[in-house]
Order: sequence, then C-alpha cells, then structure tokens
Amino acid sequence: MRFMVIVKANKDSEAGVMPTEKMLTEMGKYNEELVKAGVMLAGEGLQPSSKGARVRFDGKTRTVTDGPFSETKELVAGFWLWQVRSRDEAIEWLKRAPFADGEELELRQVFEMEDFGAEFTPELREQEKRVMAEAEKNRSKS
Amino acid sequence: MKFMVIRKADKDTEAGVMPTEQLVADMLRYNEEMIKAGVMLDGMGLQPSIKGARVKFDNGKPTVIDGPFTEAKELVAGFSLIQVKSREEAIEWVKRWPTLDGGGNVEIEIRQVYEAEDFGAEFTPEMRKHEAWLRDAAEKRCATQR
Repeated sequence: MRFMVIVKANKDSEAGVMPTEKMLTEMGKYNEELVKAGVMLAGEGLQPSSKGARVRFDGKTRTVTDGPFSETKELVAGFWLWQVRSRDEAIEWLKRAPFADGEELELRQVFEMEDFGAEFTPELREQEKRVMAEAEKNRSKS
Repeated sequence: MKFMVIRKADKDTEAGVMPTEQLVADMLRYNEEMIKAGVMLDGMGLQPSIKGARVKFDNGKPTVIDGPFTEAKELVAGFSLIQVKSREEAIEWVKRWPTLDGGGNVEIEIRQVYEAEDFGAEFTPEMRKHEAWLRDAAEKRCATQR
C-alpha cells in the first residue's frame, strides 16, 4: 500500500525559516531508516506559498492568484511517499518522525489501479503503465 | 525548477466519487503530454480522508486522529511533480488541466520544491552527499514497486 504523508505548513515554514543543522541531521537519520526499511519512495520540501500560485477553473475561465495564501493550516510544507504493509505500519513510522512541537502530519492512502473500476478500461490501464514508466525516465534524469 | 501541483479536494473526491472513463482518458492524455515534454516526474490520486489520519506532535509526543477531516478545501485530492524552466511555464501547463475534472470547477495550487541549491551552510557537504544517496536508493525502490 502506498501512502502520502503531508507535513502541514506553519508560520516558520511560511516565513522560509531554514531548518537548523541539528534538525537536518535528525531528519537525515529518519529518512535513512525509512530508506533502509524499504518504506521511503520519495520526499520533498516545499518553498513558502509566497512563491506559489493558485489556478481556479470556472468553465472556460482560468484565474491565477499569486501567493502567499493566508490559511496556513490549509498549506502543504512537505511530503513523503511511503510503501508499507498496512495503515498501522504507516502510523507507527509517523509517530517516530523527528518533530517536536505543534507540527501536524496527515496520512493519506494513494489510489492504485486496482482501486478503480470499469471506467479505467484495460486499454487505459495499459496506457497508464506505459506513461508512468516514461515518467520514471524523467525522474532519473531530474 | 521543480513544482508540486496540488489538486485540492472537494465534496465529490471526499465522497469517493470515481472519475468517468472520459476523465480518466483526458487525464492520461494530459499526463502523457507532460511526460513526453520531459515535464512530468510523478503523479497520483489520494483516497478520501476517511481512510486517512493525522498525527500532531506536542512536546515530542504524537497524538493520532482518524479521518475524515471536514475542511475539504484544506485537503489534497491528488498531486503531480513537474520540472519546468520557470514558474510561468508551470502555470501554463496547469491551465491546461483536464476541464472535465470537478465538472470544470477545480482549484489547483502550484508550489515550488526546495532543491539542494536553495539551502545554505546548514546543509553541510556530508548531508548533501547523504541526501543524494538516499534519493537514489528511494528512486530504485520506487521503480521496483510499481
């Protein structure tokens, strides 16, 4: 099963406050454990929403609004992608994350092909496999 | 530059309403264009928050709260990771998001990803080497499990 772990923003992440060397060391150790356990698939930190944008779709209209966005608790500051045997295993890993005070993480299960029904036809499934294999090539070059 | 493209949740995604065959086809075609352009790195959909959980840390102590979570617009329904030459290019790609999604009524957020060059001295040379190794190992894992 794959899960996305979302690290929610707070006023420090939104202010672009850099992690200390100590925090980076702890996070590095935690990430290494995740990698060694075969759990870690990916992970990234996001820059403050002041560098971001939102695009609203309404019929044919596209409205672009530049960041920053004020509802900090709505924002993503970072994420991981994990591969685990169960939701419980993911939660156990989560509890051990190197966070100390007020941080909030959200765990969400990823849709796999088997979760979809007939609307995801055999041809579309083949296409998806092919397309995602090519995405992998982009990742290895990135 | 790397960006995360976030498709925010709505009451349909939270209710587990499945996309139609046409939307699946449109989304695949859109993803395929981005991949062929060397832009799309990854992407996936997230199941409704009723299957999820939140963990809050307080003085190092974690507390677990099960979903669902009521504020749909706070939630992520799907995301992709893209690699582009500029913020403007990211916006241009996002404007071409399949119009069938959300009945033509979605909100997409674009956020820039931190890369190694964005960090300063606190991200020491050893840490950078370590991170590169971790990313490589994780990518190999990613490749085998699909």
